[in-house]
Amino acid sequence: MTMLKRRMFLGLAAGATLAGCGYRSVDAVYSQPAGAVPKQYANRTRVVFWSPYGGVNGKAVDKLVAKFNDSQDHVYVETQFQGSYDDVAQKVAAALVAKQAPDLAVLSDVTWERFFLNEALEPLNGYFNDGFGPGVYQEKLFGEYVVKGQSWAVPFARSTPILYYNRDAFEKAGLPDRAPRTWSELRSWVPSLAKVQSGGRSLRTIAFAKIDGDWQFQGNVWQFGGAYSRGLDVTIDEAGAVAAGEWQRSMVHDLGAAYMASSPSTDFANGLVAVIQESTGGMKTISSKAKFKVGAGFIPSEVATGLATGGGGIGMLRNISDERKQAAATFLQFLARPENSAWWTTQTGYLPVVNKAREDAELKKLIAEQPNYGVAIAQLENARKQDAIRLYGRNANVQIYTGLQQIYADNAQPKKVFGSVAKRLEAIGTEVKRLYEEKVL
Amino acid sequence: MTVVELPARTHPDERTLATGNDQLKRRRRREYGLFALLVAPNLLVIAVFAYWPIIYNAFLSLTDWNMIAARPKFIGLANYGRTLTDPAFHKTLWITVVFTGLIVVGSLIIGLALAFLFNLPLKGRGAVRTIAFAPHILSGAAVATIWAFIFDPGYGLLRALIEPFGAEPPDWMNNSDWALPGLVIVYLWKNVGFAALIYLAGLQGLPKELDEAAAIDGASTWTRFRAIKLPLLAPITFFLLITTVIGTFQAFDVIAVMTGGGPGDATTTLSWSIYNEGFQAFNAGRAATLSIIMFVILLVVTTVQAKVMERRVHYR
Repeated sequence: MTMLKRRMFLGLAAGATLAGCGYRSVDAVYSQPAGAVPKQYANRTRVVFWSPYGGVNGKAVDKLVAKFNDSQDHVYVETQFQGSYDDVAQKVAAALVAKQAPDLAVLSDVTWERFFLNEALEPLNGYFNDGFGPGVYQEKLFGEYVVKGQSWAVPFARSTPILYYNRDAFEKAGLPDRAPRTWSELRSWVPSLAKVQSGGRSLRTIAFAKIDGDWQFQGNVWQFGGAYSRGLDVTIDEAGAVAAGEWQRSMVHDLGAAYMASSPSTDFANGLVAVIQESTGGMKTISSKAKFKVGAGFIPSEVATGLATGGGGIGMLRNISDERKQAAATFLQFLARPENSAWWTTQTGYLPVVNKAREDAELKKLIAEQPNYGVAIAQLENARKQDAIRLYGRNANVQIYTGLQQIYADNAQPKKVFGSVAKRLEAIGTEVKRLYEEKVL
Repeated sequence: MTVVELPARTHPDERTLATGNDQLKRRRRREYGLFALLVAPNLLVIAVFAYWPIIYNAFLSLTDWNMIAARPKFIGLANYGRTLTDPAFHKTLWITVVFTGLIVVGSLIIGLALAFLFNLPLKGRGAVRTIAFAPHILSGAAVATIWAFIFDPGYGLLRALIEPFGAEPPDWMNNSDWALPGLVIVYLWKNVGFAALIYLAGLQGLPKELDEAAAIDGASTWTRFRAIKLPLLAPITFFLLITTVIGTFQAFDVIAVMTGGGPGDATTTLSWSIYNEGFQAFNAGRAATLSIIMFVILLVVTTVQAKVMERRVHYR
């Protein structure tokens, strides 16, 4: 057993004090995290870019960055892989305490807000030009980072959930080759899917995510007519959200057709489950792992449509020198070029965040050959910004998915679970209320 | 009234005595100097990396700070009041106690049993000892990954093993009733090798005469174990008790990889909740509060154990 956590915590505290017994000063210039610059890029301004993308998507990031480094001779971008979205956020916070700052960091749909609220991000309007800024990016995705007319990050690896289904299994079950239109329709398909055998047992219909499942569930709540919150007023214990929870509970415990999975996409790719709601950013990974024909379609609706945008945007840290800021901006401008945005989409499945990227020949060809890549783009019109409590409430996402775990694992009644989740969310909302009203409203 | 003249302080020996004293003092001072010089680097490191963080942590527990804001806000004892009255904290404490209790008792009993087994003059026991000890030196994350595979309900080893007999394993890590026992199994697997090794060393150091004498007097194996070996092993048990309690209280790695404190809060121990408050919720003040509470609990537990054992442990 390790003392990992304690060491981390103490180390952080020690770092904070060693670095001068002080805290972050909003306008101080902090040093860069260490790294190595290859010889051919020496004498350039170095930009440190913290990324949460590994595997297939990580390789695509590396290629984009390499292309940027070779495209000009002033700036060298060094990608430093930091783990998950949460890991990046933790490490940026820890770095700031130790008076260090990466120049750019990928921040998720639920982490950029806390850096914005606490004045750790550089406002980006001053760096916009014709090829970089409003009008260039897809409006919805761009607008999510705009507060009172100022941009605090730009979209990069943005996604929505889409419905992946096992086409081979659907065929064996005698079902149509399409995603279900409503959740009720999927429920009516349960008996047919259960007749299909997979790995020595009957195929299960849908898997729910153990961690971060509250992102998909945000959309599900809307589809059943509810919301997590209106503003910061928590509504997760009201009818719509409870109905969505009840639908999932019943699928798991009444029908035995659903279950909680540590990694739904791994189970899906291994043929253990017929349907998952997963990020469009998993498209390339899932398609390459699965040994069957993968289908993709819109997330079903029920009494309403609506699904949550998610994924990562890139923020620039405030505590860095002007030279580093200018250099970092040139990389953001490079990513905003249509061909680069389109290429990123073809390599990962993430949404093309730049409008003109949709007209890119390569991307058009890919969508023509593999229509799955076009699903998220077509579905984007149903997508919207998440409810404020999940975005601005510190740890609200963990509180919600912990509640979902109780429904999936323990057959807990959604009404009761969401009642106690609501109490916690209300406390979380109270904490952030003052800052939220001051800076966001 | 007579005035007694005090003799002048000029004892013939006094000068030499004083010089001797001075020399002694000087030598002592020199020795202290050397001592301080040799100890200073270590002391400094310990002060900077152990004591100062504890003090700083205590300070943070009196604040509300999200680690990004420029300055922590001082809020006095509010974090303590809030934590100590929070039902979720009470549940966390209970889970920690159950988790620690099971692992400590299990490690000691299984470790002792294994030690007796390893002490038998059997063929290949060296290899078996090594195999039993190996999990202890593996990193927790690796152990957790191995067991995540063993426990996996879809394609796990356990499923492959028992399925031919028509049984289906539980979904260990995704079921609130099974997740904590599952974690206990993993930690036991990781821990018993160490306990066995320490017990084995103890067993081999026991005096044979007592045991033989008792055997001649007709004491049964069980009586000899209970009345002779177990009391003689008490110092070992004491050592293992303290180290395992502390280690288990701080267990984090396997929980982080296998359950993330879930499902729900079924495996949220004190150490996991510190991590969650600190690094998921960015709530440095409350994480620090929980750390201080854990520190106090461990201090009390260790002190009590030491006091009780002082009377009952017989060091030879």
